[in-house]
Amino acid sequence: MDPAERLSSKQKQISISEFFEKNKHFLGFDTLQRSIITAVKESVDNSLDACEEARILPEINVEINRMKGDRLRLITQDNGPGIPREDIENVFGKFLLGSRFHAIRQTRGQQGIGITGVVMYSQLTAGSKTKVVSKIAKDSSAVFVELGIDTRRNRAIKSGETRDTWLDEKTKESISHGLRVECEMRAKYQRGRQSVHQYLRMTSIVNPHASISLVVRDRDGSIIEEGAWQRTTERLPREVSEIRPHPHGIQLGSLQRMLKESEERKMTSFLRHNFSGVSMRAAREILAAAGLDEGRSPKRISSDDAQGMVSAFRKVKLLSPPTDCLSPIEDLLIKKGLSKAIDSRFASTITRGPKVTQGNPFQIEVGLVFGGNLSADGPIEVLRFANRVPLMYQQGGCLLTKGLEAVDWKRYGLDHPGGKGIPKGPAAVLIHLASTNVQFTSEAKEAVSDNEEVFEEIRLAMLEVGRGLKGHLKKSSQRKKAREKFELINIILPEISKKSSELLSREEPDLAPIITKIMDAVFCEEELGWDAERKIATCSITIYNYTARARAYTILAKWPESEETSIVENALGGKKQANGLWAWRLDTLNPGSATTIHFGVSGLRKGEWSDAEIFYRGNGEVIGATKIDEKLLEELRKSEALEAAESEFQNPVEPISQLKERAEQSEVSQPLSLEGGQTSLFGNFSTNDAEEVE
Amino acid sequence: MTIDRQKTKEEVVDALHGVASEMHDKMLKGNPPTMTLPVRSKSNIGFDKNLGVYKYGKKKTIRDATSLGSARQLLRALHITEFVEGMISDGKTSTLREMYYISEGWGHGKFSSQNESNGVSEDLEIVTKCLREDFGLRPEEDGARIIGNVTFEERNRKGDWMRINCRDDVGDSGYGVPYNVESEKLRMIDEDIDFVMAIETGGMFDRLVENGFDEEARCALVHLKGQPARSTRRIMRRMSDQWNKPIMVFADCDPWSFRIYASIAYGAIKTAHISEYLATKEATYLGITADDILAYDLPSDDLTKQDLNALNAELSDPRFATGWWQEQIQLMQEIGKKAEQQSLAKYGLDFVTDTYLPEKLGALGFTY
Repeated sequence: MDPAERLSSKQKQISISEFFEKNKHFLGFDTLQRSIITAVKESVDNSLDACEEARILPEINVEINRMKGDRLRLITQDNGPGIPREDIENVFGKFLLGSRFHAIRQTRGQQGIGITGVVMYSQLTAGSKTKVVSKIAKDSSAVFVELGIDTRRNRAIKSGETRDTWLDEKTKESISHGLRVECEMRAKYQRGRQSVHQYLRMTSIVNPHASISLVVRDRDGSIIEEGAWQRTTERLPREVSEIRPHPHGIQLGSLQRMLKESEERKMTSFLRHNFSGVSMRAAREILAAAGLDEGRSPKRISSDDAQGMVSAFRKVKLLSPPTDCLSPIEDLLIKKGLSKAIDSRFASTITRGPKVTQGNPFQIEVGLVFGGNLSADGPIEVLRFANRVPLMYQQGGCLLTKGLEAVDWKRYGLDHPGGKGIPKGPAAVLIHLASTNVQFTSEAKEAVSDNEEVFEEIRLAMLEVGRGLKGHLKKSSQRKKAREKFELINIILPEISKKSSELLSREEPDLAPIITKIMDAVFCEEELGWDAERKIATCSITIYNYTARARAYTILAKWPESEETSIVENALGGKKQANGLWAWRLDTLNPGSATTIHFGVSGLRKGEWSDAEIFYRGNGEVIGATKIDEKLLEELRKSEALEAAESEFQNPVEPISQLKERAEQSEVSQPLSLEGGQTSLFGNFSTNDAEEVE
Repeated sequence: MTIDRQKTKEEVVDALHGVASEMHDKMLKGNPPTMTLPVRSKSNIGFDKNLGVYKYGKKKTIRDATSLGSARQLLRALHITEFVEGMISDGKTSTLREMYYISEGWGHGKFSSQNESNGVSEDLEIVTKCLREDFGLRPEEDGARIIGNVTFEERNRKGDWMRINCRDDVGDSGYGVPYNVESEKLRMIDEDIDFVMAIETGGMFDRLVENGFDEEARCALVHLKGQPARSTRRIMRRMSDQWNKPIMVFADCDPWSFRIYASIAYGAIKTAHISEYLATKEATYLGITADDILAYDLPSDDLTKQDLNALNAELSDPRFATGWWQEQIQLMQEIGKKAEQQSLAKYGLDFVTDTYLPEKLGALGFTY
């Protein structure tokens, strides 16, 4: 070889290694601890994406073994569709070759270097090849192959390729489809907040449809760390559609490229067919504002004119881009995911509606868990995600964190010294940003950069889960108070009476008037249960009247009404008040008596109904229930009636006037009857006494 | 001055029944049962000019059964009443800790910690104006040790009076003060001393014993064992009253030791209801003072945050409202140091008996 050629080829070889070396900080391979996390992440992200596209429920196993020196062997295996033999080299060997790069939709990827970086890192640091086993469903056997990277030509070198049946190591059954990647690299396993374990735990929270396991072994085979996160739903994330770019999100460079590559002959059709949110009218207005002729050929637009178009985009009112390109996790699944990874008492979750910033659709989801095993001292745990990918570094500089910190958590029951920074307490908060274009602060993609609209959405979502927490805390403290009072009057007071009478050899006093004085309130207690045999969620609501007056109430309960659910075993009957709101008119409750409403809800799964909300209509305060806001209820019913009338004609809808009439009927008149399930709270309190105090 | 405060069994039971009566009467009228107590805090102790000690003031608090916690306390008070009545009629006594374990059988009236049972017993003492000795309740900790030429007679288990000279009839650990030092249990027979020296730490007590300080300085040495037990304070009070001997308090130089002194001289906040039986207003704080740290250049430690807080609290404590104490506390805050009694060993084992104590006592007019 000519010395010049040799030199040049050497230069190329150096340059690609050098490229890696120079950029390893944003490729995720800057430290030994981080390298293993990045390798797992690239591999698991690929598996999740592949499974999602092939509509397979993912099973992912990660195995890490400590080898001699500072080397680790990483094995990841999934049950995905596998990779056809002829594509293996491309997937594993080509640098910066992502099919997703140009598509505008929400994906895990776009993150850059991908699995190729892992193969490369393994080769550079351990000099070892990456062993791949791939099986696709339609082939009868699996491909076994070893891969290295030809740094000169930026492609993979295959070696030792064979075909064989692939048996599962545990079950010894042949695997019908899947992918297994094994490689060795210089890396260090570390436990804690920034570890593979934490990464997979977080991944499992936002991918409740995936089952993931991890085992980390020391050189002697002993287990250093392990984890197994089972799927909590069989529902795969919604398939996302690609969308065209929106004019508000376009840069001059991209516009020029689009113009150049366009096959359209006229500018109006160029705008309408290449962008979302642009109608014919809008296209004309844009062109008018930019001073361009509608009939001009896109290929001939000068850069000055293109610049004019970019400014014109801002001046014209445009439709928002479609938002079906987003795939939120959805609040129920967030709840399930969180409760899978964190043992807590209470979860409040919210999926906000999709919004648009700078032409990019985005959506914020927040989940908050509280109590249980969570540690009460120290800052709460913050779990950040962008497009279902965990963000583990640079928490402080991330927009998602800032949105959390912007809320005055003291008002919602968390300790928040000075109203600044991360609040403290036994809680964890999940923040998920789903977007077609997540803007990061740096190439390392560790922290989301500032954006006012996104910030505001996070803040609003935080307020919403905060309100949920506040309600929960208020309810628990009320419940505790009520329980204490019950113990006081039912156990302690009778004992004081008995003991003091015995000591003094006197008659025991009548406790009824004392109990009324101590309690002087109406209490409401609800209990949710699960009838496993009949698959019914049960609810019982008990109202205790510990006042000296007879009381009349209508009790209303929020229940998870949907097309699948219905109220069953509801002996007291009652009426629907609004969607998800049922009402029972109770018989008059005499002083010192109690009554219980029992009902069940069918069509739910265990744990889906964890928090009932009880309202009442009537005089005075009921501890443990909220007075219904009649105006709000009326508005709710009106809008529901309107919605129903608009959407469905075949389903006859009660006119609003009728609803109103019904509402009036449900108001309690004041008959004094002692029927129904009332039980007396103190034996010697007669009905006549009650009428007297009235 | 001697105080005859002994109550008969009937008086004690009547007083306890008064507590049950208050509850029962309230309930008969259809009201939640209550128990009325003086407020037990720094803000409600005042100097009683007649008695010369600090006593609870007029502030009362009514504990009523409208909350679970208070109702439980009332029930517990009734259980203790029943228990004490039983002990009185059987002629038995029990330790506070034993009562805490016995309360296991009291159902909803049982105590969840010993602090709680001690608290309710104190409440009952205050309300009934009895001593817990009247109830037959003993503290767990034993009293102090005494060495010196004083003679007591103590009634032993067999009911016989035993004469003990605290110099000649005891070993190096001295005479152990029983929990009850009232006249039915302990008689003051004879003495040949000039003063009583109360010492905070065991190490210093042993040092003075080894150096023969009791004979050299003609004093009785009393080991306080930290915050002194009631019987320790009571016996010092009796020595002061009946034998007319001054009490010198020799303690560490730190805020907690100042409180030990205050409880001896003026009464403790917790036991202000019986201050007139326990406090010895003639007690003098000998040292170690903040002045001493400077004058003798003693090895010292920095004050901790808790120490500083305690000093601040003492500045507003009525028991430390004298010019001398205010000066000492402020000086201590200024230098930011505290020192132990045993830091005097810097100058050798005999320095305390040869130099320090003679100088300090000399300044008060005691020479030997």
